[in-house]
Amino acid sequence: MSHLLLAETAPIHAPSVAYSSLSPIFIVLGAALVGVLVEALVPRAERYAVQMVVTIGGLTAALVAVGLLHNTAETTVAGALAVDGAGLFIQGSVLVLSVMSVLLIAERSVDVGSAIVASAAVVVGSPTDRRLARTDRVQTEVFPLLLFAVAGMLIFPISNNLLLMFVALEVLSLPLYLMAGLSRRRRLLSQEAALKYFLLGAFASAFFLYGLALLYGYANSVDLPAILNASKASPKSDVLLYVGLALLLVGLLFKAGIAPFHSWTPDVYQGSPTPVTAFMSSCTKIAAFGAIMRVLYVGFNATAWNWRPIVWAVAIASMAVGGIFGLTQTDLKRVLAYSSIAHAGFILVGLVALDKDGIASVLFYVLTYGFSTMAAFGVLMLVRDADGEATHLAQWSGLARKSPFVAAVMTVLLLSMAGIPLTSGFIAKFYVFKAAFHVAAPLVVIALIFSAVAAFYYLRIVVLMFFAEPPENGPTIAIPGWSTAVALTFGMVVTVVLGIFPQPILDLAAKAATLVG
Amino acid sequence: MSAVISTAGELTNGQVPLGEAVAFWILGPVSLAGAIGMVLLRNAVHSALSLVATMMSLGMFYLIEQGPFLGLVQIIVYTGAIMILFLFVLMLIGRDASDSIVETLRGQRWAASLFGIGFALLVALSVGRAFKGSKPVNLNSATTNANGQNVNSIAALLFTKYLFAFELTSALLIIAAVGAMVLAHLERETPKRTQKEIARERIRSGRPQPLPGPGVLSSHDAIGTPALLPDGSIAPESVMASTPGVRELPALDNPDNIR
Amino acid sequence: MLAPYLPIVLLFGLAFAFAFFSVAIAPFTGPRRYNKAKLEFYECGIEPTPQPQGPNRFPIKYFLTAMLFIVFDIEIIFLYPYAVANKALGLFGLVEIVIFIVTVFVAYAYVWRRGGLDWD
Repeated sequence: MSHLLLAETAPIHAPSVAYSSLSPIFIVLGAALVGVLVEALVPRAERYAVQMVVTIGGLTAALVAVGLLHNTAETTVAGALAVDGAGLFIQGSVLVLSVMSVLLIAERSVDVGSAIVASAAVVVGSPTDRRLARTDRVQTEVFPLLLFAVAGMLIFPISNNLLLMFVALEVLSLPLYLMAGLSRRRRLLSQEAALKYFLLGAFASAFFLYGLALLYGYANSVDLPAILNASKASPKSDVLLYVGLALLLVGLLFKAGIAPFHSWTPDVYQGSPTPVTAFMSSCTKIAAFGAIMRVLYVGFNATAWNWRPIVWAVAIASMAVGGIFGLTQTDLKRVLAYSSIAHAGFILVGLVALDKDGIASVLFYVLTYGFSTMAAFGVLMLVRDADGEATHLAQWSGLARKSPFVAAVMTVLLLSMAGIPLTSGFIAKFYVFKAAFHVAAPLVVIALIFSAVAAFYYLRIVVLMFFAEPPENGPTIAIPGWSTAVALTFGMVVTVVLGIFPQPILDLAAKAATLVG
Repeated sequence: MSAVISTAGELTNGQVPLGEAVAFWILGPVSLAGAIGMVLLRNAVHSALSLVATMMSLGMFYLIEQGPFLGLVQIIVYTGAIMILFLFVLMLIGRDASDSIVETLRGQRWAASLFGIGFALLVALSVGRAFKGSKPVNLNSATTNANGQNVNSIAALLFTKYLFAFELTSALLIIAAVGAMVLAHLERETPKRTQKEIARERIRSGRPQPLPGPGVLSSHDAIGTPALLPDGSIAPESVMASTPGVRELPALDNPDNIR
Repeated sequence: MLAPYLPIVLLFGLAFAFAFFSVAIAPFTGPRRYNKAKLEFYECGIEPTPQPQGPNRFPIKYFLTAMLFIVFDIEIIFLYPYAVANKALGLFGLVEIVIFIVTVFVAYAYVWRRGGLDWD
């Protein structure tokens, strides 16, 4: 027994950490810590302004850091993180779009306070709740929570180690579960959304962990390159590898909202505060696709023949569910949720290509889709009635007569989502299909059919806005404050400009399309 | 002691030592029974307690399998903290609250059970097949676990290879604390009353003296028994409003009540 | 293999035997005088704050306390391997664990300043 207590131990040496390559992550995490300290130390009256400065400052600084790192390609912290072109492109996209989400959260002129609840712990409908709803008090914890989520999204797509990927997945998910429940209006719906998202998300995380354990049993390591090497020459049964990958994919596909793991999407998108929905539909999706790409391209490159049929199947399922169920929706937030499911299917088509073009087209697609969906949810915040946002389709009929400008903006965004030429959505779809065509021509044909189906319901909304009679006591169009105006303008301009001059960003994506492992 | 161990060594079956085999066949059924009980028991508190049995058995398994760190974490964190949290949540909802047994989607229960059993079978069969024929490894050997220094080996991994994941866990803990506060903590709107204010209020209230104590000395030692006023009537303030089942005073003329 | 745990098992056995012995011996040695008052439920103490929302329900305050306990419980779990291996880890290990503790301390500062630790 004594040898257990007194054995000599060899000294352990610190791993080398490339602080500069990881600086965007450190900046965002540092800003999040400062945000929590602001919550602790600053009096309530000043919190909102201070949090805005900390959040936007931190995100912008991290974005600058990503820009400075553009030529990096290395692995660091004992191979746990791989900073490379694709990872940095994803990080940059997440940071730009998260700044836009913060601007949408900061919108205080269309609703008293903001879209975020005054105090989430107050019982819904109690006298205190009604009193607080009329004050400009806001649960400002939403800002540090968003920063933590962004930090998780920065780490998730560059994790070269599945265990770190799991921790990053939780760091990005936990704040989202909380943020989904912070809506100022229709609080019960929002809390229900948070609970659903949390329960299903925890379930998906459990699948991810189970898959991770099986892969460890197979490769004796959770590093993606080690799994790749083991898959080339391992004496063990391949069953562990494939069951492990399948379970891992359940967790990843859930986060990206891909059918058949999409069922949370409509309810959660509808219930969450609209700026948080915008954040989820753009940033979370981008980060999740970054992680899926890294897992499949770095860890399972040698076994592509085995996972390609799975990607085919879920891509078709996703496009079908998004296209067909989207037609039957009457709530605009749910329509956009099903649209996001369909788009996830289109992005998967690009992943089938398994070459540099495939990576580049996916990077371009997630970026342009992020801008369009962010701006579309931003427009939703402006069309309001007495109960808050008027999201029912019937309330949007004849909107063009009341506000031709808002209707026109929404039309451009919907056309981009439908993939009509002269918008960024068309270019993105074109490059994804082009990259996948030489390996998966039938899949591309199916994708074209479904994009025609999906185009139908976007055009239905456009027709409704321009040619239908406006309803009695229809919604009013709120005048946005500076922050929403900036975010909307930016999203709108990017959608149009990338539709006409996409080449610089396409070149950037092509240059970034490298993965080190 | 070592003599006992070495004699037991001869009785081992294959490569698994006797002690381990005995412990497995005792703990295995306990953990399984706990898991089944958790699903089948009607009372939510019983259900949670039977999950405790499962988690304790799992903790013991880890200890036996030469993973003292994991075993202790299992017992300290899961049975010690998380199960208590479960019980608090159950009590928060109310011990008597029961699930609605109405299906909102027709046939959902059957479909869910079918898929669940199918999935379990699939995973069990494939994992079982994958591990068929693999030999158990002595985790105490120098190559696998640094001469039984499991905790040292974990430290060596945690602070080097998994350093980033480890430090990131602190972010997770902060999110959990902030989340708990956001969802469950009602902030005080008015400043806390000082002792001076409380004392002033009490004098001004017209009743500076404390409320009468309950009638615990008359015939019952239960705090729910009200005190009697000099005229024999009940003093209602003598019993806490929150006491469950505040009882009527027992009839004193019945000798049965005053044994 | 499991020899290090033998003292613990013996201690468990001793504790169990003592508990069993105490309960088993009481009916034979103690006097038995029943009365009705003895069978009543007995409670004492101050009035609980905060008040529960209904019968058999705990206030949410307990949940918050338990949740915060878990957060710091898990922090302590990570100190355990550090403490065992601190000689081998040397200075960089100390720096790492201090960064970890200081980071979680931010959560503590937040909870404390916002009144999460006040009971009433």
